[in-house]
Amino acid sequence: MALPRLTFVTGKGGTGKSTIAAALAVALARRRPTTLADLDQRLSAARVLGAKLNGAGAAQVDDNLEVIALDPRSELESFITRIVPFKAVSRRMLKSRTFGYVTAALPGLEAFLMLERLRLIAGAAAAEDRFAVIDAPATGNALELLGVAKGVAQLAPFGTLNRLAAEVEEFLTDAHRFGVVLTLRPEELALREAIDAASNLRTQLGIVNVAAVLNGVAAPLFTAAEISKLGVVGAHAGLARRRRAAAEFAAHAKRDLERLCSTVVETPMMFEPIFGRDALETLADALAPALTFE
Amino acid sequence: MKAAALDLRDRRLAICLGPGGVGKTTLSAAIALNAALSGLAVDVMTVDPAPRLLDALGLEGDAAAPRPVALDGLGAARSGRLRAMKLDPKRMFDLLVERHAPSAAARDAILSDRIYRNLSNAMAGVADYMAIEQLLELHRRDPKSLIVLDTPPAREALDFLDAPRRMLELLNSRALTLLGASREMMRGPLALFDLAARGVLSAFDRLTGLHLLTDVQAFVRRFEGMYAGFAERAAEAQTLIRDPRTFIIVVTTAEIDRIDQAREFVAALDTMGLRTDAVAVKRVTAPMPDMAEIERAELPRALKRKLMRNFEDFSALKQRETAALRHLRDALPSATRTIVAQDLGREPRALKDLAEIAIGLRL
Repeated sequence: MALPRLTFVTGKGGTGKSTIAAALAVALARRRPTTLADLDQRLSAARVLGAKLNGAGAAQVDDNLEVIALDPRSELESFITRIVPFKAVSRRMLKSRTFGYVTAALPGLEAFLMLERLRLIAGAAAAEDRFAVIDAPATGNALELLGVAKGVAQLAPFGTLNRLAAEVEEFLTDAHRFGVVLTLRPEELALREAIDAASNLRTQLGIVNVAAVLNGVAAPLFTAAEISKLGVVGAHAGLARRRRAAAEFAAHAKRDLERLCSTVVETPMMFEPIFGRDALETLADALAPALTFE
Repeated sequence: MKAAALDLRDRRLAICLGPGGVGKTTLSAAIALNAALSGLAVDVMTVDPAPRLLDALGLEGDAAAPRPVALDGLGAARSGRLRAMKLDPKRMFDLLVERHAPSAAARDAILSDRIYRNLSNAMAGVADYMAIEQLLELHRRDPKSLIVLDTPPAREALDFLDAPRRMLELLNSRALTLLGASREMMRGPLALFDLAARGVLSAFDRLTGLHLLTDVQAFVRRFEGMYAGFAERAAEAQTLIRDPRTFIIVVTTAEIDRIDQAREFVAALDTMGLRTDAVAVKRVTAPMPDMAEIERAELPRALKRKLMRNFEDFSALKQRETAALRHLRDALPSATRTIVAQDLGREPRALKDLAEIAIGLRL
């Protein structure tokens, strides 16, 4: 898999999306300067890293790793200031409630401008040999967000937005600039959602660089023969069976995902009383071998 | 009647709120089933249920109207009954338009409108608002039964409860008047500021190539005959949500990040003047077995070592979970109860799995 300049991390709620986004950024930052951008208003990925953002919505975690927050509203503002020639006019426009309602009625606009922003981030990263990781919304919303460029192209048949829409689509389908990581846990529901998402990304959106991170995979520990001997230990047998079943499911999930994703990486189940920076480094260790720098 | 973890006898509405991925839909169904087994007449409305849960509730195919769920063999009290349905926001919106449009021509014009299609497909808040509409419909049809309401995944607690207010605000705003509703709908004269805003909007339209303004104006005009009805129901929904007989549940899992989010939800509800009656924690692992059992068992030493290792691993997880739960209980107001739902260790496939969760709900 080509290591894209910008990796968009999404997954079903509760699969460790923000944790994996943070771990991926940590792994990349060991080799190159990296930006972790939080699209989540709760700044979950920044929290995982313990980063406190300054007033401008940015924080330097260490020499090679910075965290920024992306806010759809400010994307709209910067877009308008860019295209409207007079400052006084653009300011008035942004303050107008009417304008607020019109853009609210056109939900695609803010989302689209966010994609345009991602394109610019990837462009800057390529120019400076950096990488960017996006902690994106959960799968359903993420697919809607990525699909919005097509809608905008239809809505605005010519003009500024139409031109931008073509550029955004080209960006999303370029494996060197844009890639998606789907996170999931070895559970039936999460697997089904990841498989649907992977096939939608490819067939409907033409996004070719799709990888999966199978998160929370524990070593099976017990053989089937051992499990059959455990009748005498009651509830402990239940825990052992559960462990083995989860590991077996993970193996099956990996096979299924490999049909649709260019890379499938397993990250270990963290059996730790407290999830801290050490645990994050362990996850980064698991991701690192899959990252091929040119 | 068996003492249930939740006594919902005098309640008319239980609303389950929470972020995505915590198992809100399963929990809503479990709570509804719990109440039905204890003898209540219950309707549960689910949002986007997982296929297995659909099977468990018998909701495959089209289930936009409540369907009875057979409680045979689950030991339900005789008066208990459960009906389930799933929310289809787009269809609900179309239904509203069909019902309230002043004429057939107006109806067709709205349903094929570019802005309407965009609005009903994508606008954040439409699903929330449609859930509220659905709730009102259920409530009107059978005001005596208990409605358990699952809600669309939310980033913030208020997304759902605030939907009627936001809808009202939009309908009452000058913006709509300004954008093209007829002269009679105008409240007060147009301010110079509004005229300027209109000019700016049309400049924006030209620059971007969107040509929105005319469409939005046409849309607003098409909707004209329907505002009063929307506003009336939004107000009615507000009253129902704020009724003292409404029970508000915030759903979470026992992970620290989710617990923090649940606490934020509770705080946000409080600023809206709404009390969270319970926080339900899903997928809590069962108490750990006794370690000494491994020692006592007659098993090869190597296997015992593996069992010990497995025990230690799960104990670490349980410890993390217990700390998160303590963190939750410490932060909640005393009037808010904590309900714990055991992890089944598998996904609920059949109604009896759901019943296992329902019966296992503990305070």
